[in-house]
Amino acid sequence: MGERVLVIEDDRELGRQIVLHLRRAGYEPTWWTEGRAIAAEEAAGLALVILDLMLPGTHGLDILRELRARADVPVLVLSARADTMDKVGALKLGADDYMTKPFWPEELVERVRARLRRPALQRSDTLTVGPLTIDRAGRTVQVRGRAVELTRVEFDFLVALARRPGAAVTRSWLAEQALGPEREGSERTLDVHASRLRKKLAPEECIETVWGIGYRLRVEPSP
Amino acid sequence: MKLRLRLALTTIAVTIPMVVGLVLFDAVARHRAAEEALAGYTLARMQEPGGRDRCEADPSRWGGELGPGRGPPPEHARPRSAEDDERPPDGGGPTDAEARRPPGHGEREAEARRPPPPDDGRPRGRPAVLYAYDLQLRSANPAAPTIGGPLAAAIATSEVATWPRAWVGAEVEILVRMPWQSGPCALVLAQGSTVPGWLGAVLPPTRIWLAPLVALFAAVLLALGPIVGRIRRLTEAVRRSASASYASPVPVDGDDEIGELARAFDAAGREVRAQLAAKDRRELALREFLANTTHDVMIPLTVLQGHLSELLAGAEQGRGALVAAMAEAHYIAAIVHNLAVMAKIDAEVPRLHREPVALDELVERVLARHRPIARRLGVELDGGVPEAPVRVAADVTLLEQAVSNVVYNAIRHNRAGGHAAVLLEHVAGDRFRLRVVDDGPGVPPAELARLAERGFRSDAARTRTPDGQGLGLHIAARVAALHGIGLAFATPPGGGLQVDFTGVCHFGEAADSTQEAHL
Repeated sequence: MGERVLVIEDDRELGRQIVLHLRRAGYEPTWWTEGRAIAAEEAAGLALVILDLMLPGTHGLDILRELRARADVPVLVLSARADTMDKVGALKLGADDYMTKPFWPEELVERVRARLRRPALQRSDTLTVGPLTIDRAGRTVQVRGRAVELTRVEFDFLVALARRPGAAVTRSWLAEQALGPEREGSERTLDVHASRLRKKLAPEECIETVWGIGYRLRVEPSP
Repeated sequence: MKLRLRLALTTIAVTIPMVVGLVLFDAVARHRAAEEALAGYTLARMQEPGGRDRCEADPSRWGGELGPGRGPPPEHARPRSAEDDERPPDGGGPTDAEARRPPGHGEREAEARRPPPPDDGRPRGRPAVLYAYDLQLRSANPAAPTIGGPLAAAIATSEVATWPRAWVGAEVEILVRMPWQSGPCALVLAQGSTVPGWLGAVLPPTRIWLAPLVALFAAVLLALGPIVGRIRRLTEAVRRSASASYASPVPVDGDDEIGELARAFDAAGREVRAQLAAKDRRELALREFLANTTHDVMIPLTVLQGHLSELLAGAEQGRGALVAAMAEAHYIAAIVHNLAVMAKIDAEVPRLHREPVALDELVERVLARHRPIARRLGVELDGGVPEAPVRVAADVTLLEQAVSNVVYNAIRHNRAGGHAAVLLEHVAGDRFRLRVVDDGPGVPPAELARLAERGFRSDAARTRTPDGQGLGLHIAARVAALHGIGLAFATPPGGGLQVDFTGVCHFGEAADSTQEAHL
């Protein structure tokens, strides 16, 4: 069973679509078409609340204020007005994020997913990202259980990428992490290391080149 | 020129010609009076008993300064008495010796000999000097001056001839025609002078009359003091009121003209206030209407986008048309967002709600907004943000739309297989750089500087796709300027367009992120 998401949206059609897409993405949505306070027992099992602001009944910001007094459940606010006070007000009241209408269904799902994604346990010495298992203390890497021999630079490069899995990071930052600060032509050198690392990790395509930015460690297995 | 100075100068400008005019008039009047007195004296001397006879008896010796006569005869000719005839001539013409004496001495002696003139307290001119002439203006007395010029011309037509413009000097000279009109004493030239001093005919001889004039001058300046003061206070009050959009009333004191002026200013201020209030109400209503319409449009647009996504997911054919429809829907959304933002920043004083904004989260939101459409259009859209949050003090709606416009521009003016990247970095100390770069067709270098102009569209862009009012980059530039953020356009080495926002980071509590609290 998926995580429970409460959707409070008064527009019938929009609410129907949101519920549909959340269900398809594997979540278990509950839909309210009116604004009312979320009781403590209702909030207990919720993973996330998607909250429209302009609602019949209780206003979205009031629902948020009451909810925050009791629970820490993440809240994603839907805003249809180009009003800064709404957004800043919602964020100050403890909303986690907001989305401006109109939005694409996949954008909504992506934002919900990003909000519910558990951050990697940074304190642990072992990182698991997709097919990779990285032991930072032992300085070893396994791809689907297969151990891979990496040089010091290649290992530091991979660990730097793994610190922020799924995020595009710049060449200059990676060069600083893997090669040390301020080295002449370090970004070119970095590309050479990246190329070698890719070969060692093949056939898994874990490291992506991001145009205009640098590299990224892929989170989902390649399609 | 200040009012007080102007009034002082005006008073002086009016007073001085008036005084000069009066003094001149006085001079003319004095001269005329002296001429009349001289004519009266001459006629009296010649018409008194024996006067004519004395002259005609010895015309060659008659003349010069005569002693005081008996005054003119009364109007009705007084019959001559024996007494008059017996009265010895008291100065029937000076002797040669007397005439040759220095005038001062002779005068003094004559003064002494003569009984003092009746004293009415006024100064008098020097005694008259007479000479007799016949009708041909010849005198038997060799001491008599020659008569010519204006005096000779004037006597031909009048009883008494005078010098024109003689009032300039103190000398008085007249030629009097005698009633008998014949003989060596037919005409008598009389010389004398006006009263010494320079006033006395019309103006009082002492200068006491200057005192009221000075008093008047002082009174004008004194009376003006409070008036000038009140006008200054009124000016200050009106200025204060105007600087506060006429919110404060103009104080009214007194019910004279200045009070009226203050009341008029106050009424004008109230009118302006009322107009401003009406304008504010209209603007507020319009803004409200716009906000509500934006809200009303955004919901069906979201639903439409949902339907389009749905259709595309299940479509076997016509995917191209569906993607095009999605691109249009996305474009409409951008236009409506820009409309709302434009209404905000086009206000006379744009109201910025500046709060600490997490730029990295803003970039993520913008990427999330455009990623679905970029994917459909085949443009690879990626973003990189630093590990540590980057915060700026900004109006989050405006800044997000500015960045969104630049990112959408990079996607829209691109082609399938193209790239767009958003890169947020810390640079040089406490500054950030948000770079949006694409590998689309770009913009000719000559047009880079004009990109932010309202309504500007690169020709390259125009041929590919119609682009509304070209508001997107204009809004980006306006918002950047409002926030003190730099915006620079450049062509990256590989072609395309590179847009850099650069500004100062904000260090402090971020209001739009409570992320840390919930992780």
